Amino acid sequence: MEHFALWLAAFLTLGIVSFLYKDNPWYKLCEAIFVGLSAGYWFVVLFWDNIYGKFWVGVFPLEEFDEAGREITAEPDYWLFVGAALGILMLMRLVPNIGWISRWPLAFIVGSTAGLYLINYFSSNMMRQVQGTIVPLFGAGYDASAYAIVGNIVVAVGTFAGLVYFFFSKEHRGVFGGTAKVGVFFLMLTFGASFGYTVMSRMSLLIGRMDFLLGDWLGMIK
Amino acid sequence: MLARLPKNLPGGVSLILPFLFICFSFSPVLSQGIEAEVDTLDPAVPDSELVVAAPVTSLIASDYKYDNGEVIELSWVPSIDDQLVGGNVIGYSLYRSENDGEPTLIAELLPGVNNYTDEGLSRLSTYRYTILTLTVNHETPSTMTAPITPEREWINFDKKYLFLIALIIGGSVMFFIETARRGKKLFVRKIAGLEAVDDAVGRATEMGRPILFIPGILDMDDVQTLAGLTILGRISRIIADYDTKIFMPVSRSLVMTAGRETIKAAYQAAGRPEKYSDDMVSYVTDEQFGYVAAVDGIMVREKPATVFLLGAFFAESLILAETGNYIGAIQIAGTARPAQLPFFIAACDFTLIGEELFAASAYLSDEPKALGSLKGQDVGKALAMVIIVVGVLAITIGQAWHVDFMMSLVDTLTNIFSTK
Amino acid sequence: MSTRAKELITIAIIAVFSVVIYILKITGVMTGIEFSGTVSTIIIIAIFLALLVILIRTLRGHLVDRRTVFLFIAFSVALPLLMNISQKITVSGEVEQVYNAVIDLQPGSRVLVSFDYDPASAPELQPMAESFLRLCFMRDLKVIVMGLWPQGPQQAELAMSTILEDDEMKAKNIKYGIDYVNLGYQAGNEFVVQRMGSDFKSMFRKDYSGRAYDDLPLVKNVKNFSNIDYSFNLSAGYPGTQEWVQVAVDRYGLKMGGGNTAVQAPMMYTYLNAGQLEGLLGGMSGGAEFEYLANFTGKATKYMLSQSFAHMVVVAFIIIGNAAFFRSGREKKL
Repeated sequence: MEHFALWLAAFLTLGIVSFLYKDNPWYKLCEAIFVGLSAGYWFVVLFWDNIYGKFWVGVFPLEEFDEAGREITAEPDYWLFVGAALGILMLMRLVPNIGWISRWPLAFIVGSTAGLYLINYFSSNMMRQVQGTIVPLFGAGYDASAYAIVGNIVVAVGTFAGLVYFFFSKEHRGVFGGTAKVGVFFLMLTFGASFGYTVMSRMSLLIGRMDFLLGDWLGMIK
Repeated sequence: MLARLPKNLPGGVSLILPFLFICFSFSPVLSQGIEAEVDTLDPAVPDSELVVAAPVTSLIASDYKYDNGEVIELSWVPSIDDQLVGGNVIGYSLYRSENDGEPTLIAELLPGVNNYTDEGLSRLSTYRYTILTLTVNHETPSTMTAPITPEREWINFDKKYLFLIALIIGGSVMFFIETARRGKKLFVRKIAGLEAVDDAVGRATEMGRPILFIPGILDMDDVQTLAGLTILGRISRIIADYDTKIFMPVSRSLVMTAGRETIKAAYQAAGRPEKYSDDMVSYVTDEQFGYVAAVDGIMVREKPATVFLLGAFFAESLILAETGNYIGAIQIAGTARPAQLPFFIAACDFTLIGEELFAASAYLSDEPKALGSLKGQDVGKALAMVIIVVGVLAITIGQAWHVDFMMSLVDTLTNIFSTK
Repeated sequence: MSTRAKELITIAIIAVFSVVIYILKITGVMTGIEFSGTVSTIIIIAIFLALLVILIRTLRGHLVDRRTVFLFIAFSVALPLLMNISQKITVSGEVEQVYNAVIDLQPGSRVLVSFDYDPASAPELQPMAESFLRLCFMRDLKVIVMGLWPQGPQQAELAMSTILEDDEMKAKNIKYGIDYVNLGYQAGNEFVVQRMGSDFKSMFRKDYSGRAYDDLPLVKNVKNFSNIDYSFNLSAGYPGTQEWVQVAVDRYGLKMGGGNTAVQAPMMYTYLNAGQLEGLLGGMSGGAEFEYLANFTGKATKYMLSQSFAHMVVVAFIIIGNAAFFRSGREKKL
């Protein structure tokens, strides 16, 4: 069984990699297996974790006992019916005449998530970041290294210029336009660094697969 | 009562107080009889061999501010015999009495510890605390704290600045939405990538090849997906007019629903509802790379003339953009995921960078809500810019020339923007 | 010979080669290949000479086929795995921060490790997971594992089984329930983290193996984040480090370090600079640096040679690509 599993994994890996040469039936087979398997996997995960694990068990808790034999069955949570009702409303779009009802739960999801995210993003990505940008650019008796000072200048100027670039209420002309260009310059530098990191990430994935093919499968790596 | 004495006392008083505490702590009245049970660990040890440590002093129990009434904070001055060198304290035992009941052990603490947060309490009960100072063969109790009940606060005033700034930005959004509703034209600067949308759709029509629209891999609760779908609305109107073919493979069922509605509405508006088909939008899989494999396959087989990648993308961005580039499609991309933007910039013809995606969506939809939100956010950005300039100048001047006023300004700004 | 015939012959050769090598492996005739220093140097020089030839051809107007690039990358990744060359590792400040945070913890401190990734990102994150857990156990810390991704807790089990094979770890006599606990996966993304802020048990009534929360000595007194001394988040996307920072760190004051895929890492530097993250391991190099600090040779260290070599080849192709670009001028599609 172990031999079969290894060969199957190698067959699928090489099949997907063969796309780099050109689209071919081997790749199509692997793609179909991957898509089918993953769709099935997610269906099972979502069913057992959400519909069964969250809703069903939440409303009708299973009888549970701890190791000492004491009952620790949870209290039923009837609020979950509200969520279930919204879920059923979502399915209403299968009935053409009342399909519009499905927009209600959609509105609930969009509205509640936006509200919850507002605080998270506002606090972590705006307030804390503005606070983190208040850094000294230079100073007598300021015992930071040249590296730290350059870093501070990059953070302060880059953040300011970046904000100017993303300011949509004013045309990018004159000094404002110039600052926006500095902002784009910083953005491109950031993207370059980010690209480098991603190359590293992709290489890591490839190394992982190569390790499998040459090591686990063929046993060539000592 | 003693435990609530102020901390900053004149020198003489602060010297006498520990002595008084030590005396009082041995008083049976104040220590509520705990010592009767746990005074000596081993009764067989003669008194002369007992290692007795002074009790902790200034034990204060206070309500934890801005919680649901479940937490009490305790602080104390460790025993004077709690020293790294020559000290004989091996730890502390913290006892809690609920509603004047029997004290129960709630924590065993290491030497040197001087505070504890007691959680999971009820706001319907009163609590008192005492600490036993432990040596190898003796336990010395402190005084009992006065009864305290944890209180629930409805408003967290630690977050007042967060609320205030959110109010300014939120208020601006409301103001601009209302202004747009009244018909006033709100100015939004030109966004480069947008002009290419019409040309790209036109190109696909001319070539008689389809358009591929990829709305990212997140669900309808992500604002980037919503922005992508708004732009899809605009694209759909053009394709409905030109009768161009569109494919929209999605990885979320809700996005499939919303995508179908968007395209259908555009076809209806163009007066060609019969040309619309549900097959234009199809669900593939929730699995990230399964989705990518399928979309790559579609790209290579269908060879779309134009590919739109507008929404939230993760590791799949480069794979999709690279394949699109390989088949020679015109690609217009947009995402607010900073990590994915480099790939779009490298592999696509036009890229809506970060918030440009939302701006483009607002610009195209011409909706008061979207435009008002964009303008309101500009107020937030202007505020951030001002604070950054003022803060950076203040801290630089303050540190370089030791200007106290500037440093206090920095402290104020830091305090306002700290969310802890 | 037709293209189809050539393709079939290539596939047949690969298949036969694989079968032969596999038979040699299972019969024990071949126990692995290792290139000596000299052979390794010859291979490296040969590859760079080939790249030089490609550069010259490009400058003469002969553009290289994209499949040639793929082939070079494949060789540059595969061959170093068989080489016996060690690489110098320089430790960055953010990696040291994670290491110091762990080292500074008192024995018995509780560390929460959230496995928010799946097998697709395992080559980058699994080595980090293994070295981090190993260091925790070496320091006698108590580890609580969980996952916001369904496959996360499985990755944690894999990491545990790998490190428990180590003799040093066996000597530690690590016991489930006392030294570590796997709370399993919980659906709900950042809302799980939010609920954990007030009550862990409300999200994890049972652990990964089905034992009741209160039956696990390590966690039965863990109410919320205030009972956690340090947290480490292994993240490959959403939900991940960003969500943990936004909820657990900024709202509940959890001390947290991150281990991210290299794709994600640049975005996390904003949180690191603002003090919201206490340390960051970015990609495989971050993992290798951490292994170096923890005095442990794990997979990240072993993979680094392939990583560096592949990077050099990528840089060479960037130069070749730019040479082609500036030679021909950029063609406008529109």
